Amino acid sequence: MEDHEILAKFQDPASRNLAFNQLVRKYQQKVYWHVRKMVIDHADADDLTQDVFVKVWKHLGDFRQDAQLFTWIYRIATNECLIFLKSKRRKFFLPLNDVGAELAAKLEADPAVAGDEIELKLQKAILRLPDKQRLVFNLRYYDEMPYEQMAEVTGTSVGALKASYHHAVRKIEEYVTAADVQGYSSGDAN
Amino acid sequence: MKPSFRLDQHPRRWPQPLSAPPAGYFEQLPTRVMAQVDALARPWPLAAWLQQAPAYVRTGLASTVLLGTFAASLWLGAGPTPHPTAAASLDGVPREELVDYLASEARLDLTDLAELPAGSLGITTHYLRPSPPELTDALDAQPTDEATLL
Repeated sequence: MEDHEILAKFQDPASRNLAFNQLVRKYQQKVYWHVRKMVIDHADADDLTQDVFVKVWKHLGDFRQDAQLFTWIYRIATNECLIFLKSKRRKFFLPLNDVGAELAAKLEADPAVAGDEIELKLQKAILRLPDKQRLVFNLRYYDEMPYEQMAEVTGTSVGALKASYHHAVRKIEEYVTAADVQGYSSGDAN
Repeated sequence: MKPSFRLDQHPRRWPQPLSAPPAGYFEQLPTRVMAQVDALARPWPLAAWLQQAPAYVRTGLASTVLLGTFAASLWLGAGPTPHPTAAASLDGVPREELVDYLASEARLDLTDLAELPAGSLGITTHYLRPSPPELTDALDAQPTDEATLL
């Protein structure tokens, strides 16, 4: 079902549930993975994904269609992720690094990543980025989102997004190289 | 020496770098979301009706509630009825009763009635307001038993 059809059916109380069901089926995987890449843990991603769609339900009637539906949903998902990560830091009164360490530990437990040394280093390097920069990196590198659409999702200018992505790539490459060299040196010592 | 890591040379994990969710997750997710949405709508049918009502209805209702709250606060804030002062209460008591009370219960005698040791004559005047003939009559009505004089 096209977005305009979903929106039209949603306005009618008789077909609202059906329309929303279609919307969830259409966007659930994109929303889930967008969230999952930010919070790493499946259970957290599951909770947040449901929260995102509940918020979409509550506010879809007010959606002004001045942006694409998907961009609007992505924006809600992005905000939920950032709020979640911020509250996690505040809840435990931990400095930034410790929440990063917690996410890194979940990463190490992920079977898809754990067995691949370079991939694990890459993912840990991505985790070290500030939340917003990590978000930009994920949207560009994994979702291949155009910068113009990314600007609508994040509320940041295209120029700033390009600069942020460029710096993110540089930081990741430096970190993985340093981690690689460290591992190589340790191997030599052994 | 190991070459530097280059992201563009690293094979990107496609479509996603992390492990897949449990089997059947995406088949069940829409049902779970719809259950949450239904739970939102069910307990508060008024809220659901309000959500679906047109904007002008909601605005009108909100304005009515606001005005009603303002009116109620004005009405309730009018303040309690003030209690009558002690002087006003005593004003309602007939003078004869007052004199009888003072003479009998307070054990006043001629001396007390003749010279009332009030700190503030104004209070005494306000309570009893004796006119000279009344005072004379009151004095005359008192027993002249010398045992009470002193």
